[in-house]
Amino acid sequence: MRDKLMIGRMIPTGSRIHGLDPRAKIAAMLLFTAALILSDGWLPVVALAVLAAVVLAATRIPFKTYLRAMRPLRWLMLFVFLFQWFGGTGAGNADEAAWAWTFGPVALTSSGLSEALLAVSRMALLIVFTALLTFTTAPSMLSRGVEGLIKPLARRGTGAERFSLMMRLALRFVPALLEEAQTILKAQAARGADYEEMNPREKARLLLSLLVPVTVGAFRRAEELTTSLEARGYRIGAPRTAYRGLAWRGADTWFTLLFALLPIAALALRLTA
Amino acid sequence: MRGWIKRRAAGKRNSGKRLDGRNPVGGPPESVPCPQIAAGRSETVIELTDADYIYQAGSPFAAAALYGVNIRIRRGTLVGIAGGTGSGKSTLLQLLNGLLLPAGGSVRVLDHMLVPGLQKPKLNALRRRVGLSFQFPEQHLFEDTVEKDLMFGPLNFGMTREQAQAQALEALHAMKLDDSLLKRHPLTLSGGQMRKAAIASVLAAGPEVLMLDEPTATLDSAARRELVLLLARLCREEGRTILVVTHRIEELLEVADEWIVMHEGRAVFQGDADELGDRADELDQWGVAVPEPLKCWAEWTARLPQLAALPLPRTAQEMARRIAEAVHQSANRSALEAEAGNPGGLEASVCATN
Repeated sequence: MRDKLMIGRMIPTGSRIHGLDPRAKIAAMLLFTAALILSDGWLPVVALAVLAAVVLAATRIPFKTYLRAMRPLRWLMLFVFLFQWFGGTGAGNADEAAWAWTFGPVALTSSGLSEALLAVSRMALLIVFTALLTFTTAPSMLSRGVEGLIKPLARRGTGAERFSLMMRLALRFVPALLEEAQTILKAQAARGADYEEMNPREKARLLLSLLVPVTVGAFRRAEELTTSLEARGYRIGAPRTAYRGLAWRGADTWFTLLFALLPIAALALRLTA
Repeated sequence: MRGWIKRRAAGKRNSGKRLDGRNPVGGPPESVPCPQIAAGRSETVIELTDADYIYQAGSPFAAAALYGVNIRIRRGTLVGIAGGTGSGKSTLLQLLNGLLLPAGGSVRVLDHMLVPGLQKPKLNALRRRVGLSFQFPEQHLFEDTVEKDLMFGPLNFGMTREQAQAQALEALHAMKLDDSLLKRHPLTLSGGQMRKAAIASVLAAGPEVLMLDEPTATLDSAARRELVLLLARLCREEGRTILVVTHRIEELLEVADEWIVMHEGRAVFQGDADELGDRADELDQWGVAVPEPLKCWAEWTARLPQLAALPLPRTAQEMARRIAEAVHQSANRSALEAEAGNPGGLEASVCATN
């Protein structure tokens, strides 16, 4: 299970993108997402895809690794594609489309197909860019980056620190719980219930049976972690220094500025169209 | 201790075989006989030939876990598998159960052959005969009664409900647990009971080979001893082949017929306790703590060289008796020498042995 889950794990290659400040990368991802949402039509999406490809190449991580990151979400992407094609905004405009097939209440049009492909492309780009962020940034730096970005927004109180701790613990827990679920699945396979050999109904039943041990395990881990944090004197809001400080350099500024231009350009394109 | 080891290694026995590919694998070692099952013990039930395993092969996170492992295990033996953290012990067990397939070489378990690239092999027939209990198996209990958990395996392996119930009861008794636990929720049992129930859930399918990954971890010393003796009984009286991964060699020293030491994904040693004693100075390098009985025996063997010719005593009592006898003999000999006109003999002997 964990073998198939690629997102959320860093792949060190020592590239320039790896060396960027996590705040710059998170900001770039948010700006890229905004640009994707604002982009209307193939031209901006293709332009974003080209830019994404350049940044992906700069990470020196093989492209197939990004494709593997998309693999777990392929069914969701297929669902989005079909949903968009059968019931999306472009589906009904049979008169305007280059071609159209109508089966009773369902109309499949070329414009619907285009919309559906566009939606899936947007989704794929979003996944790839999220993967890029986690592949090039260690989880601890990621949460530090989030904390650094939120801090100016929440000047008073301990909101940023709480959120950052929550995120750090969640990032730490997700792989741990996945590993635990995988071990339980293995233990059940060793007792003759092999997930890989089951039909969907049996699979669903087996996954349901994981709920009890995984939930009990999650509570046990949470309790142990809380005790351990308290035992080492951790207190929300207490002043503390960082072992590795974040350093914002010129490259971070340029990287962020480049991505800041994207939503502006997408919006401008949309308004002029 | 090093000197003692060298003397012994050069002495009456050959030292344990290197299994890291640098030296060839030797024949099966001598082991403590199990009278009830002596007839079938020459049969090899597990054979790994140059077995490799790589986690997440083909991904950027690929990590080799086993390299060129060559191991042979005979039927009806109790085998201890020791090694430091990340040495490949748990991976090895999963390979033997077909949960992982080798990336290179071959793995033969009973009459099943596992080789790289097997496409969707149906392995339930193998898993019925080779039970595997993971670390902290009590955390994997998931049904709402102990009985259901114990019946889970037998039912999956095609037994009828009645057969599964009978098997569950038998496994419960084999682990010395009370019938009244059957209707209880697993999470309401004590830690020791939960551990035993979880092992019973593996045992319920009636495996010929039982593999346990650190079964005594986190148990108190009395529960550890009880569990080890239970496992030894399963091996001696029922003829099951038992593989136990452990960090504490001393707790299995008394009962293990054979030892395998894993280090950085390689099986660097396979042999009996005596041979392990001969290689005790290498245990540290392999990331395994030298067990106290081996240290103690080494210390006394350095003082009384006649002990070096004896096999390693498996229990503390036996070791104390052997040492007492040797001390007594040594004192008698010194006294005789003194009577024969060598007044400095005793002191000289004591000095020599100290």
